[in-house]
Amino acid sequence: MKVYPIGTAAHGSDLRFGARRGRSTTVTDVTIGTVIRSRLDTRSPEYQANLAAMQELWDGVAAELASVPTIGGQRYVDRHRRRGKMLVRERIEALVDPDTPFLELSPLAGWGTQDPVGVGSCTGIGIVEGVECAISGSDMTYRGGSGNPTSWKKGSRFHEIARENRLPVIVLNESAGADLPRQADLFIQGGASFKDLTQLSKMGIPSITMAFGPNTAGGAYTPGMSDYTVFVKERGTAYLGGPPLVKMAIDEIVDEETLGGADMHSRTSGLSDYLAVDELDAIRITRGIVRHLGWSKLGPGATEPDDPPLYDPAELLGCASADVRIPFDIREVLARLLDGSRFEEFKPLYGDKLVCGWGSIHGFPVGILGNNGILFSEEASKGAQFIQLCNKRDIPLAFLHNITGFMVGSKAEQGGIIRNGAKLINAVSNSTVPHFNLMVGASYGAGNYGMAGKAYNPRFIFSWPNHRVAVMGPKQLAGVMEIVARNAAAGRGMEVDEEALAAQTMGLESQIEHESTALFSTGRLWDDGIIHPADSRTVMGMALSAVHSNVVQGATEYGVWRH
Amino acid sequence: MSTITRLLIANRGEIAVRIARTAHRLGMSTVGVYSEPDANALHVDSVDVAVALGGATPAESYLRGDAIIAAAIATGADAIHPGYGFLAENAAFAQAVIDAGLVWVGPTPEQVTLLGDKVAAKRAALDAGVPTTSMIEVVDGRVDGEVTYPALVKAAAGGGGRGMRVVRSVDELDEAVAAASREALSAFGDGAVFIEPFLERGRHVEVQIMGDRHGNVVHLGERECSIQRRNQKVVEESPSAGISPEVRTALCDGAVALARHVGYEGAGTVEFMVGADETITFLEVNTRLQVEHPVTEAVTGLDLVELQLRVAAGEALPVAQDDIAVTGHAIEVRVVAEDPATGWMPSTGRIGRFSIGRHGSDPSCLVRVDTGVRDGAEISSDYDSLVAKVISHAPTRTEAARRLARALRDSQITGIRTNVDSLVALLGEADYLAANTPTAYLDEHPEVLTSIGPEGDDRVALLLGAVFALEADRRDVDGATPFAPSGWRNLRTQGQRQVWLEPTGEHLHVEYVMRPERLSDGSTRWAASAWLGPWPEPDEEGALTPDDRIERHVRLLDRRIDGAAIEIDGHRHNVGTEVVHHGIGLDDDGVGAVTVHTRSTAGALTVTRAPRFALHDAQAEGGGPICPLPGTVIAVHVSNGDSVADGQVLMVVEAMKMEHKIVAPSDAVVSEVRFAVGDRVDQGDLLVALDHGDTA
Repeated sequence: MKVYPIGTAAHGSDLRFGARRGRSTTVTDVTIGTVIRSRLDTRSPEYQANLAAMQELWDGVAAELASVPTIGGQRYVDRHRRRGKMLVRERIEALVDPDTPFLELSPLAGWGTQDPVGVGSCTGIGIVEGVECAISGSDMTYRGGSGNPTSWKKGSRFHEIARENRLPVIVLNESAGADLPRQADLFIQGGASFKDLTQLSKMGIPSITMAFGPNTAGGAYTPGMSDYTVFVKERGTAYLGGPPLVKMAIDEIVDEETLGGADMHSRTSGLSDYLAVDELDAIRITRGIVRHLGWSKLGPGATEPDDPPLYDPAELLGCASADVRIPFDIREVLARLLDGSRFEEFKPLYGDKLVCGWGSIHGFPVGILGNNGILFSEEASKGAQFIQLCNKRDIPLAFLHNITGFMVGSKAEQGGIIRNGAKLINAVSNSTVPHFNLMVGASYGAGNYGMAGKAYNPRFIFSWPNHRVAVMGPKQLAGVMEIVARNAAAGRGMEVDEEALAAQTMGLESQIEHESTALFSTGRLWDDGIIHPADSRTVMGMALSAVHSNVVQGATEYGVWRH
Repeated sequence: MSTITRLLIANRGEIAVRIARTAHRLGMSTVGVYSEPDANALHVDSVDVAVALGGATPAESYLRGDAIIAAAIATGADAIHPGYGFLAENAAFAQAVIDAGLVWVGPTPEQVTLLGDKVAAKRAALDAGVPTTSMIEVVDGRVDGEVTYPALVKAAAGGGGRGMRVVRSVDELDEAVAAASREALSAFGDGAVFIEPFLERGRHVEVQIMGDRHGNVVHLGERECSIQRRNQKVVEESPSAGISPEVRTALCDGAVALARHVGYEGAGTVEFMVGADETITFLEVNTRLQVEHPVTEAVTGLDLVELQLRVAAGEALPVAQDDIAVTGHAIEVRVVAEDPATGWMPSTGRIGRFSIGRHGSDPSCLVRVDTGVRDGAEISSDYDSLVAKVISHAPTRTEAARRLARALRDSQITGIRTNVDSLVALLGEADYLAANTPTAYLDEHPEVLTSIGPEGDDRVALLLGAVFALEADRRDVDGATPFAPSGWRNLRTQGQRQVWLEPTGEHLHVEYVMRPERLSDGSTRWAASAWLGPWPEPDEEGALTPDDRIERHVRLLDRRIDGAAIEIDGHRHNVGTEVVHHGIGLDDDGVGAVTVHTRSTAGALTVTRAPRFALHDAQAEGGGPICPLPGTVIAVHVSNGDSVADGQVLMVVEAMKMEHKIVAPSDAVVSEVRFAVGDRVDQGDLLVALDHGDTA
């Protein structure tokens, strides 16, 4: 089998060629911002060493990604193909418009959990008949496409993305239902997926389900709750109980086709709206359905020139520190992320540890909040003000996380760090413009909250491979626990067993280190995927384009400001 | 002496254009005629005034002598040039022209009549001392003389190989004479035949003659036209590379002697066969300007139409025999709208683009192109299939062949099938270059006829030109994510895949992964890894077949709306492309198809995108194969009730200039053949209803 480069380091810069039409790349004085001058010496040994370290981190991620498509095992992959079926990603390749991009979401979900890497499903955003759609498919080669706790989480996140961004949903279904031995962690919450589908329908977001194989038990409600269903002849089936269960329950002996075959559902029960001859035919029919949706986006779309940054986006790989303890200037990232490297910085002289300002990515205007150090009172209130401004102007916000937390200490406390931090959290909590998280470094402690982290419902979160996330850094956490242990021992008047404490501290540090990595984070759906830094413009562009499928509207009301 | 001030050209196509050119140079004004389909043809635009003849078929238009003479009178023309074909060798028409008080550009009606009868012409040739084998006449079916074998039975009238039989022994003779006579009678209305020796591995050599009414006759050297298919000339050249100086002298002197003997006026051609042993047989005299006259013009520097017009006006020939020198070597090929690979099946339709030898800015590379078509011209079955004549002239035969091949490779004729690829192959073929070209040449070199045009990386470059032209078109219509790199994936399991159809129906698979390369000025250039040939598919066990494709490193050094500079493994190819969408939409659902015409200096290639999805509706109902594209049924291989096997060809549909074999999807019994040969069929039509038995 051919090995394809994973996450090609394709920098999404100026991709149109001279004679072809495209948005104007003429930069006039009406564009946002002025050009950032990079001070990064990409030939320096420091940069080169960091680049090499980042490459190594990425290689680790790429190796994990490469394992995902055949995670079910070669035997099951071959068996699937022997039956004349396509793998889930092959189906998606056939579904999307040729040569358009496909952004797979949470490809490494399940990493480091009991569930397989990728959790036996594939979700993403792709272009079908010119329409950005949320596309989801199950991988029949892993335990018969059955659902597990993490795949439910991934599916739930998928529905959330479809709902918030108003993306038509296409489901490529083939699933034996729930992975029964794991039902305890799945059954109760799992039912929400059917509620999600009908609520999407209520909101006018169409859903199309293709049945490529079995849709069993609860799984039968996936087609059941969809606006449109397409069943593949002699392949797609749907029934609440399979022949063995039917025999058990009512002593009826019946074959699969009579019980829930594609033909039966197309001619008799009416569950199937379209009968497809084969898999490709189902995909063809689905594309036809998308054509008739007459879908149009509600956001204003790209309004700025889409010219490449002055500095090579490929250098993003070496911009951020592989070791999150080493600070770097977030403006070097912006110089390679924003159109034309242009950035209009807001309050550059005030609260300079939080860089705020406006720019655009692939023509989509965006308000940037990027960390250049920890958050002090000034940074927090500056951020809160900036967020309100962007809400007044309906400009989406991108939070570039490289944050170890809020300032501590008596001076900070007396200066009202909690009061000012509360302003920032009030702002990010009640802001209604789309939020993006780009994890370019650490995201520790309340800094994660202040930067609109996962709990604050950003539309999309993407991480670079050097990303670390935890309540605090592993060393600090272990150190804090060591002090707590010493204090406790002192309180009880006991001698500290130095050796045991050292071992405990070291063990804790390495545990937290492991639990803070980008892979650990992405495995738990704390983000929507780890991306190659050089792909950031493409990924952010696709995410921005997706949010513009819905209205982009700022907030008018917030919680009480603690002035 | 008369003066020609306004010339009516009673013809169409390239010859009408070519005659007008000379007439205009001589200061004459010109009158054209046109049939209905030709109302906007190039030849009509090439004349000053044109008169409608109506109709479409030759009989309804260009053969209407009375209408043509009326047109000449109505427009004040004082002369009529008939060109070749149509009325060119019609003595009655020539007489009518003269009777109408107009100048007839051609030999006298008496000469046309005399030389139009092959038996009479041969008698005249023998009388004039022309070198030739004897002729045995057949009178009332009785062979009047001793036949030596092999012998050739020929019709006295007509031509084109009809009424002709080769006889190897005496017991075949009576049957051959009867058959040839029958054929001649039905074809030409005259069953007269005669017999002459058949020359094995003979060559067709002809001498251009020119006479005036003052008794001057000159020859302009010979032409060799041995390379023929079905007795239609394909390649003509001057001088002949296959005859000795002695034979040349004998032919030319003989031709002049015959012309003098009959007092020939105007341009004519005396045709001979020359055997491998230098035996000469006189064939016939063509009393007109020949299609292949440009090679003579090239080597002599004379304008034959000018000479025709001057002698027709009564002037003496402006050149004497001693003034005429043959310089270098000239070759003409006939580009025809026929597909040599399918037995020269005629191809009709609208030409998209027409250009030959576009790199003509350097005069030393120039070839002469005589044509009656241009972009958008319609090739109709009403007229002959000649699209263009391409003529090169160089100091040596080899150089002329190379230059001509280069010009042909650098040509593009889209919308119809032509013999260009075969001509290129022929001009580089060893026997051709060695002048080993008897009339059987094409039968002995079938590989020339099936040439596919550019090969190797030249072909790959053209295909990639089509691939990336379509890729660019698709990216152009991506309204949602136009900024994203082509086919971008954050988890890639396969490259971007396209399947194309060659005109031969062969499938071409291309898989590519594109990556942008940032240039120092921040702009982007595209590069790609490309794999040609079918990608791995699951075998019976479900395992993917081995992938023996080789990765090709491609860079798109330059991309334009009409082409690209494509570098393949470090070699740069300049490819021109034209994307044609048939119907609405892209190619995705088989709703429309995309054709890309590509060209480079290596040649041209037209490929059509195979639809990504098939329309199955009829098959879903257990029906049978459905029509993939709108087209015409050209063959039906089964009848109702036939049992057919999986993969058996049921029908052939010609669509998009390609033959699509309609095969049985499984073993079945034909319940209804729903179309017949010649029927128009639409995409999605159920072509052959099949009963699969088990799906009832």
